[in-house]
Amino acid sequence: MLRVTINGRAHELPGGGTILQACQALTIDIPHLCHDPRIRPVGACRLCVVRVQGELRPVTACSTPLRTGMVIETHTAEIEQSRRVNLRLLASRQPAGTTDALAGKSFQQYLRAYGLESTGSPQPEAVDSSHPYIQFDRARCIYCYRCARICEELQGQFVWRVWNRGDRTRILPDSQTTLRESSCVSCGACVDSCPSGALDDKSVLALGTPDHWTRTTCPYCGVGCEMLVGTRAGRLVQIKPALDSHVNKGHLCVKGRYAFEFVYAKDRVTEPMIRENGAWKTASWEEAISFAAAGLRRAVETHGADSVGVLGSARATNEENYLAQKFARLVLGTHNVDCCARVCHGPTAVAMKRMLGTGAATNSFDDIEQARTILVCGSNATENHPIVGARIKQARLRGANLLVIDPRRIELAHYANIHLQLRPGTNIPLFNALACAIVEEELYDEATVRERIAEWDEFQKFISAWAPEKVAGTCGVEAGTIRAAARLYATARPAMCLHGLGMTEHSQGTEGVMALVNLALLTGNFGKPGSGINPLRGQNNVQGSAHMGCEPNNLTGFVSPGQGRELFEQVWKAPLPRNPGLNLMQMLDAAAAGTFKALWAIGYDVALSHPNSHATRKALGALEFVIVQDIFRNEMTQFASVFLPVTSSFEKEGTFMSSERRVQRVRKAIEPIGNSRPDWVVIRDVARAMGRGEAFDFQSPEEIWEEVRAVWKAGAGISYRRIEPHGLQWPCPAEDHPGTTMLHSRSFPTGAKAALARIEFEAAAESPSPEFPFILITGRTLYQFNAGTMTLRTGNAQLRPNDLLDVSEADAQELRLQDGQKVRVCSRYGHAELPVRINPAMSRGELFASFATVESFLNQVTSPHRDRVTLTPEYKVTAVCLETIEQAREGVREGVKPVP
Amino acid sequence: MANDRMIVDPGKNPAPMTSTDPTLTLLPRLKAKALTEAQPANVESFYHLRDGIASGVCCGTACFAARHANPQRWQQALLQADSVHCLGQCYNAPAAVGDAERPRIETHCRQPIVLERIARGSVRTLANYLQTGGYQALASARQNPPEAVMEAVEFSGLRGRGGATFPTGKKWRLAARQPAGEKFIVANADEGDPGAYIDRFLMEDDPHCLLEGMALAAYAVGASQGLIYVRAEYPQAQRILADAVAEARGAGWFGGGGGETFSFDIRIVSGHGSYVCGEETALINSIEGNRPVVMARPPYAVESGLFGKPTVINNVETFANIPWIIRHGGEAYRVLGFSQSRGTKVVSLNSLFRRPGLYEVEFGVPVRELVETVGGGLKEGELLGVIMGGPLAGIIPPHLLDTRFGFEELRAIHASVGHGGVIAFDKRTTIPDLVRYTFGFGADESCGKCVPCRLGSRRIEEIFEGVGQSGFGPVAAKQEWEEISATLHQTSLCGHGVGLGDFAESVRAHYGKEIGLCFE
Repeated sequence: MLRVTINGRAHELPGGGTILQACQALTIDIPHLCHDPRIRPVGACRLCVVRVQGELRPVTACSTPLRTGMVIETHTAEIEQSRRVNLRLLASRQPAGTTDALAGKSFQQYLRAYGLESTGSPQPEAVDSSHPYIQFDRARCIYCYRCARICEELQGQFVWRVWNRGDRTRILPDSQTTLRESSCVSCGACVDSCPSGALDDKSVLALGTPDHWTRTTCPYCGVGCEMLVGTRAGRLVQIKPALDSHVNKGHLCVKGRYAFEFVYAKDRVTEPMIRENGAWKTASWEEAISFAAAGLRRAVETHGADSVGVLGSARATNEENYLAQKFARLVLGTHNVDCCARVCHGPTAVAMKRMLGTGAATNSFDDIEQARTILVCGSNATENHPIVGARIKQARLRGANLLVIDPRRIELAHYANIHLQLRPGTNIPLFNALACAIVEEELYDEATVRERIAEWDEFQKFISAWAPEKVAGTCGVEAGTIRAAARLYATARPAMCLHGLGMTEHSQGTEGVMALVNLALLTGNFGKPGSGINPLRGQNNVQGSAHMGCEPNNLTGFVSPGQGRELFEQVWKAPLPRNPGLNLMQMLDAAAAGTFKALWAIGYDVALSHPNSHATRKALGALEFVIVQDIFRNEMTQFASVFLPVTSSFEKEGTFMSSERRVQRVRKAIEPIGNSRPDWVVIRDVARAMGRGEAFDFQSPEEIWEEVRAVWKAGAGISYRRIEPHGLQWPCPAEDHPGTTMLHSRSFPTGAKAALARIEFEAAAESPSPEFPFILITGRTLYQFNAGTMTLRTGNAQLRPNDLLDVSEADAQELRLQDGQKVRVCSRYGHAELPVRINPAMSRGELFASFATVESFLNQVTSPHRDRVTLTPEYKVTAVCLETIEQAREGVREGVKPVP
Repeated sequence: MANDRMIVDPGKNPAPMTSTDPTLTLLPRLKAKALTEAQPANVESFYHLRDGIASGVCCGTACFAARHANPQRWQQALLQADSVHCLGQCYNAPAAVGDAERPRIETHCRQPIVLERIARGSVRTLANYLQTGGYQALASARQNPPEAVMEAVEFSGLRGRGGATFPTGKKWRLAARQPAGEKFIVANADEGDPGAYIDRFLMEDDPHCLLEGMALAAYAVGASQGLIYVRAEYPQAQRILADAVAEARGAGWFGGGGGETFSFDIRIVSGHGSYVCGEETALINSIEGNRPVVMARPPYAVESGLFGKPTVINNVETFANIPWIIRHGGEAYRVLGFSQSRGTKVVSLNSLFRRPGLYEVEFGVPVRELVETVGGGLKEGELLGVIMGGPLAGIIPPHLLDTRFGFEELRAIHASVGHGGVIAFDKRTTIPDLVRYTFGFGADESCGKCVPCRLGSRRIEEIFEGVGQSGFGPVAAKQEWEEISATLHQTSLCGHGVGLGDFAESVRAHYGKEIGLCFE
């Protein structure tokens, strides 16, 4: 403890902080404009100066460390006078006048507090309104440099550039024109930090400043950013990052911060609908619920319980997913329940469960800053998990090593020490070769191999056949580069791996992840801070929906029906179904085969997002009864008999579960729109209508959660009270358990040792051929989330209006393609049309596109191939050819068969 | 590399300006947008001599004070697009690029230390330097532990000659105490103070002395890399230094051969035109390829300087004292000078003196002796004051000329030893003129980071531009001038704004009457 005297009073304060932090803790209000706790202090505004005895001149509280014995005066007449003079200098160059939005900014508050007013002349020409979310009024800049600093130190984007010097200093985006034309990624960190109103959210300028804030968890990706939702008179007007969040540390990405206007989209469905003789009609909830119940009952009675299935939603809460699977198992009597983990990290969960005993991330996002080496594979984190991507960039800028394994030269690849730019579909040989190099060069961790590894000799023998030199040709990566990467990962420890769908969406997806896990096991990069295998989950609650039991072969808590039967039957007071269930892919196959008849799809646009959509639609078309439960009429609606309109996560209570096993609160910020209802209410009411109300007697999500705790041992200690405000990471088996940030430090759930996987390679079914010379990779982009259901109904649609086909410069040149030119992509399964974007990140012979829009409907092209273990579709490798629209019309392209 | 352009003679300096630790150079490189931008354009825009200096007329303070001597040239100086504040030719003002005149160089002290060789003629080549005993200090120091060098410098009482007056030995000791590893020695040769042309001639006429001083510093603190940051206005010094480094390196004076533990190398980095780069945190930013704005301290450079590594930054003259101290011992040095100001100091006198030039004097002489004996008084006209230690310090009025030349002694009368520039001015330069001019210079060269300096210095220039004009509210203006200058002094981030505040204080203290008349 430090003894200091502040304004004549003695204090004992903890060390390690600045004078400003100490004063803030003591609620001594020191004015400041350039300080932001998220970035390094610079001492530019000079308002926070204080007198420290013994110092010749006042010092800045923001940048001066507190030391014992300091005698500090914060508000002497001289200091206050200097603050007034500096504020007056700033005010002299600020356009006169104020607005509601400006009045809330700290600069204007200080002007008022010191009896000053802006006296500059207005400069309407200085306003840049080009960006859909952000307004930049250059005339209101007070040159605190917070925008430039936070862009650099939090986001790592370097968009805001400071030009010239002295009083001619100007801050402009790197485009030197408008923000829209700059390299801005629209995270809003600069707006969030700006104290003067030079940068502001357009939503606030249009709709007013919030009068109420609600803390909640982001509804987009699986990082689990915590945010503050601002409402004015009950209307969403602004979202800001929670400064104290462990996950996002005061940062958000464009989706979390800005893409909320979908809530108020004109086409939001707000009344239940029933299809009568092919036409939709609005219905009351009572009618719709009983219609849905009757349809399900009829299917069960006519075709049997196993002809019916339920899809939980990665967009819905844990409580709702828990109810969805309970409904399938208890009300319908089938294990036919699944969720979209099937099409993303299902392989990861299975691979990690098999090898390590737990099918989830071993470490936490806070390990990123502790890792000496970060391995990113099959993940374009800066676009798809931008907060994690930004943290990786910052770690790299502070000196951590970065390895990137990706067929594309993604943003992180530019920062990487080594980028292994492999051919799509060659993960197995590459990871085996990395393991081989580690074994051959004796870079493995001997103690780990001795104490934690089983079947070592067998593995050594197996892996010796995978020398980098042998696979280099297959993978398209030089052997020396593979070896260098192996050395870095194995020796610059701790090394942490973060992976994405580039690992899983393959015919050997599960095995690919197993081959990746080998690397961590060999090198002892697990069970330690800054290490582990950490899947970046795609959807906000995909981890939770699977973990709550929305999988045919797993009950709540990732236990098999065999293991969990006794406990579940005891808590549910009902028998579990005996037949094994179908997963989503099997449900579609069975539907096409005529044995699967009814589906309840909760928040899941299977029709748009599943591959090989001709086949998918055929299967969906064969269903007799489909319930679509969503907030919008999506592509599933055409197959639906009833539409149940539900609320977004801004309109309800509950919990989500993030990639790092963190259970976090979702809180209601606004009332449900129109007549929409939370999913849990709808599922409960359908259960009641089907006569099982006694097992669904829940009055609140918290009551549901209490039942989850009763059936999920590793989550038993997680209560709503305990997850205020930061959430808890499971395993957390008891109320006094602190939660678990890191798994496997001493043993695995399966025992002391884990066996290394011996994975043989089977080449992907699709490979380039004269007929289909390109490999199409699909994935997400920064501005459009997956099927675009939410993001396309926000300003993001202006930032990226359609799916684009990324083509390498060489291919574009050869095919004489221009940026923006529309082309037809054809595969063996179908074709789609979308505009070209020439992208230097692409390798020759490879194409990349997202499948967010109905207009391009790219999944008409993707293949039917699936992971051998989990049936996860192989979204990442489809052989295609390209034609210009003219060629397509004239059918001139040689050797291309007409597409059905 | 962000900095390639700034390195002089890449042929002789094979390695680009980076730290040997690759991660250290990452930030500036990655900042330049994933390796695609060289020196980012916005960084370039900070500087006014982005393409070096080929022509131009000086509008530094000494040239301002001498503007009557060549009014046409002065007009030209005011009209040129990029103003040049001091070419280091204050002995022949108003000056222009290409003027060939050399100053008088003399020693006026019991024991010359810095100018002894130069006073007899320039010593540019290694052979000449060795003839005068050059590199003997380094050779003998290396026979003993580094601690011996450290102790001698500490004992000498040497304080920084760049204006901040920090005890050199103490600075080195702090750097030596940092954990072993990469450390830097930087010579601050950004002699921007108008009126000072000392370092220029130390570099041009005796380059090896600087190099030897730096090598001794490196030996003392355990550094292996040296840099000399030379302002763009001194292209000749850059060339001479680059040649000298190549010669010394080639002759093995920097060690590193045959398994030697001592290994040192020096690279020359050119400025791009910016006064504030003489401030050490701005200088670090400039070398790293960042915008050269000043940074709040702590951390201090000795702990976390260039590329985050412990860095000793000293001015050229400071280093030039070191070989003598090592050869003759700290004791011999300490006996020179007086009070807290030990040794000698080189001063540079401007063209209004009868005998303008570069003189080494011992601390403790009365300022009057510098002005009247060494400088021979003014060529013509009546002395109104002497700007001592640069424009960001203060003015000594004629009635205080008996003050003794010493750091604390001059401080006490609102002046400063500063860098050693001495600019006399006569009544052709009025006080309001000088204030307007100085604050205009201050505003032009402000980095723009902190509020009082960015906006306050310009505002004071405006106030004094408005003096006497109709519609000017005199009472409010007087109050504003006082408030802003006090705030500049109290709250500026670095010595630039504080120095402007010092200057204002000095003006108020000594020329209150003249200032008072402005606002009546």
